[in-house]
Amino acid sequence: MVEPIKHETVLDPGAEQVGKTYARALIGAAARAGVADDVLGQLDTLVDGYLASSDKLAAAFASPRIDEAEKSRIIDRLFGGEFHPVLINFLKVMGKRDRLGYVAAVRTASESLRDEMLGRVVAEVRTAIPLDDHSRNNVISRLSNTLGKQVRLVETVDPSLIGGMVVRVGDTVFDSSVANQIEKLSRKAKDGFSRELLKRFESFSGSGS
Amino acid sequence: MKFSSDEIASVLQAEIEQFDSKIDVREVGTVLEVSDGIARVYGLSGVMAGEMVEFPNGAIGLAFNLEENSVGVIILGNYLTIQEGDEVKALGTLLSVPAGDAVIGRVLDPLGNPLDGKGPVQSSVTRPVEIIATGVSERKPVSEPMQTGIKAIDAMTPIGRGQRELIIGDRKTGKTSIAIDAIINQKGTGVKCFYIAIGQKDSAIASIVDVLEKNGAMEFTTIVCAGASAPAPLQYIAPYAGTAMAEYFMFNGGHALVVYDDLSKQATAYRQMSLLMRRPPGREAYPGDVFYCHSRLLERSAKLSDALGGGSITSLPIIETLEGEVSAYIPTNVISITDGQIYLQPDLFFAGIRPAMNAGISVSRVGGAAQTKAMKKVAGGLRLDLAAFRALEAFAQLGTDLDTATQSQLDRGYRMVELLKQPQYRPMSVTDQVLSLFAGTRGYLDDVPIKAVSKWEKDFLEWIHSKHAALINEMNDKRDLNDDITTKVIAAIKEFKSGYKIG
Repeated sequence: MVEPIKHETVLDPGAEQVGKTYARALIGAAARAGVADDVLGQLDTLVDGYLASSDKLAAAFASPRIDEAEKSRIIDRLFGGEFHPVLINFLKVMGKRDRLGYVAAVRTASESLRDEMLGRVVAEVRTAIPLDDHSRNNVISRLSNTLGKQVRLVETVDPSLIGGMVVRVGDTVFDSSVANQIEKLSRKAKDGFSRELLKRFESFSGSGS
Repeated sequence: MKFSSDEIASVLQAEIEQFDSKIDVREVGTVLEVSDGIARVYGLSGVMAGEMVEFPNGAIGLAFNLEENSVGVIILGNYLTIQEGDEVKALGTLLSVPAGDAVIGRVLDPLGNPLDGKGPVQSSVTRPVEIIATGVSERKPVSEPMQTGIKAIDAMTPIGRGQRELIIGDRKTGKTSIAIDAIINQKGTGVKCFYIAIGQKDSAIASIVDVLEKNGAMEFTTIVCAGASAPAPLQYIAPYAGTAMAEYFMFNGGHALVVYDDLSKQATAYRQMSLLMRRPPGREAYPGDVFYCHSRLLERSAKLSDALGGGSITSLPIIETLEGEVSAYIPTNVISITDGQIYLQPDLFFAGIRPAMNAGISVSRVGGAAQTKAMKKVAGGLRLDLAAFRALEAFAQLGTDLDTATQSQLDRGYRMVELLKQPQYRPMSVTDQVLSLFAGTRGYLDDVPIKAVSKWEKDFLEWIHSKHAALINEMNDKRDLNDDITTKVIAAIKEFKSGYKIG
């Protein structure tokens, strides 16, 4: 599996907006045909698999120099057998409107839209060692109990945490990692020490060994 | 020096024992871009305007712009080690600074961190940096004098406790000196002083600390310093932070004097931040709310009602003009906010008239109520007389023959100008000021050569302090010039003149 990008730091409000609009249309059409999850899975394959591995294909999708008919021929030839007709049609519509470059934005938006529709939240879990099934189930059940929602986990392994885990839901982070606690403890000890040092400097110097 | 390792270990052990490990819950965002003291952050969806955020390098930021997709944060600290993708943590509180007696005598940055190498400020009291100023019912009119110890100011543009008096002038006209003299003169009055240096050379600030220390004024003074090399956000919040420290004393019934040196640089820092945040520029490229930036700051200087303890903050904001241009944007704004201004002119300064105050256009709108009776009696009309003298002087330069009345008015004027000169860092007590001005305005100096006036004044004050100590004490107590005292003073002056040889 491709390691997910750790952070997205390129904010393109325009792409985000376009993505949201098309995602709503795609999910609407797919849900009516009853294949929403399938289509979203295939969209993932398209973005993470084909587009990520082939720069040429991504360039062809984004390029305005390749006309609409050519684009729809490419779509038919490459994905005709594999993808659901709803997704094929959707891609052709995007091609017609010169929006094929925004497929990745559509994927991001449709994921969050789908989660929202199903009352699901995404929890990003960072741990020092990979989670085993037992602890994964534990985490999911604890989180869904506290949040009152279905939880989808996105896992990352980060040895610099030393131990414990960091869970991020939306913009809220629950941090019980060992690294963070050591950091806090060291800050507290430093503050406390400098306070004591100022208060009674003599007892530290002088009569000691 | 040897350190006792047992002591150190026991302190650390106590700290570790008290440490309770809880799950750390925080709201976070991600840095999209960072530049010139500001950062754009994605996430932080629940952050409030003005809320503190923390960067991984320990720098504190303030949520400044809340936009649809991102949050604009001003960084109060080192922004050079913040990177794209860093996690930003919302702290859930507004910015506050340490306050209380522990800040007195210190040189601090706007966040209350020490710059004087004397260790962290040991104070349990903190105060929010931005508060809404006290309202109408919590105030009372200015009633007590705030003596600056400078004859020209205490006589012509008196300042009361709780007043905002602007000091305005070109560069190198002695603006800071007036403020420093005013601080030095607060010795023994219990007034706490705050000198807020914004965008100044660190060398200039060091020499001010030195002057204050030499004059014994550092014991009751705090210096809040955001020098020229400090990032714009720090320069922007420095005046608010200093005022927050001063407010602790005001709300506890004490008195404080705050000098903002200078607000033009604060406005420039605010303009820089606003433009980088893409707020629309207005006149002179300042943002639309630059007036509010100064008005909400100066509105926090107040004289509190007796129910609230009667404390006060007097402020002396300083504005630097370019080529005497007082009708530029920031000077007009601040002039309209303050209760009067002291206008300093370069040509007066270079003519040796120091302080270089232009009596004609300097005013104090409320301070008259706070003048002592004695001072009112000697100085009433002095400002107008001096302004008339200036006009007459210009006319007399044309070389016309003058009648004796006009000539004597001119002579009196020259001597008053001479009398109002005062060396730097030499503030005078009210009684001394009254005695000098009495001699001048009543014409006892008319026969003293102009060049000898300041020498005469010095000798006279020395003489009267040694020969008539009882009279001085009486004047200090009464603070009024009744007939009895007036006769005694006149007698003393005559006695001095009879035995005094000029030269």
